[in-house]
Amino acid sequence: MTCQMKSRKRAELLVGYCAQTLPEAQAAEFESHLKSCEECKRLVAAQRASWKTLDDWTPAEIAPEFNARLYARIEAEQAESWWRRLLIHVTHPLTPLSFYWKPGVSLAAACAVLAVGLMVHIPNLGNPTAEVHVNKVDIEQAEKTLEDLDMLTPPPAPGSPM
Amino acid sequence: MDPAQPSPKSGVDKDMEAVAAIRGPHLVGPIERDAELMLRVREGDQRGFAILLERHRGPVVHFLYRMVQNQAVSEELAQEVFLRVYRSRGTYEPTAKFTTWLFRIATHLALNWIRDGKKEKNQESLSEQLLDGVERQVPDRQPTVEQALVREARMREIRRAIEALPAKQRAAVLMHKYQELEYSQIAKILSCSESAVKSLLFRAYETLRDRLAHMA
Repeated sequence: MTCQMKSRKRAELLVGYCAQTLPEAQAAEFESHLKSCEECKRLVAAQRASWKTLDDWTPAEIAPEFNARLYARIEAEQAESWWRRLLIHVTHPLTPLSFYWKPGVSLAAACAVLAVGLMVHIPNLGNPTAEVHVNKVDIEQAEKTLEDLDMLTPPPAPGSPM
Repeated sequence: MDPAQPSPKSGVDKDMEAVAAIRGPHLVGPIERDAELMLRVREGDQRGFAILLERHRGPVVHFLYRMVQNQAVSEELAQEVFLRVYRSRGTYEPTAKFTTWLFRIATHLALNWIRDGKKEKNQESLSEQLLDGVERQVPDRQPTVEQALVREARMREIRRAIEALPAKQRAAVLMHKYQELEYSQIAKILSCSESAVKSLLFRAYETLRDRLAHMA
């Protein structure tokens, strides 16, 4: 004869009953049900048998050096974290140490660029006459060049816009 | 349990409230002792961590072994569990049972390991070679060859039956059967409802009943 209990409720009672975690009243009620339900009686037997089988599965002993290995890892992590903290302190943009460090690098770079620029072109401040002379020569040369260009350029055709 | 104390309240939160409020040497029971120890670890008491390790190392390793079915991996994962507990000591708050937190970390690591498929195909043969701890047993309890073979065949069946369960069902069964955790605890560990835990468990137990029936 099929059990009239809903399968979900039956499953819950079955597991709770076998695990001995049901409240006393519920356990008594289920026990009373078992007296007249062969299907549930069979299920209880099967559940208990499977749990007894599972009890046979005993795990191996833990390695004796387990704790020592763990503490060694903790120590190594703490030592590494000291280095990591220092590195972060130096490289992170928001830490006090980098506040002085990064502008310093920028300043050094700017100085290097300036030095290179000065090496390439050093202004001659001691001889203003030479500078004027150069300017004059440049102007005369420019005027001559323009005259030459005028000679090379053909005159506009009569009637065309200038 | 101290008889002078009021009858135990249901639910973990009220126990944890008691610990958080008291935070003194007065100990009510083993659950509170775990949280009390962890609070002391938070304050820098290394001895508290050592006690917690001794108390929970076995259950954690054994749970992980049954989940991943590889002794070396289970010990490695267990180390990671306790490492994470230690790392979190500075911010620990007893908002749940210590074992709930512990097994949540362990389950998370085990499920990740299973998901990542790091299980070697020859894992089963390795476990068989270890004969489920026979190598580490005390010498004067060494079984006969025949007994060892019979036992190994049984263990193989059980391992396969558990291994065949979906990962979450497996975790639920192992926590319920071997660690005797409550539905509410398992629900918190698996981040699901109690109803979902019951579904997982009942389905798993039904499968196991069928699969292990011939071994009774």
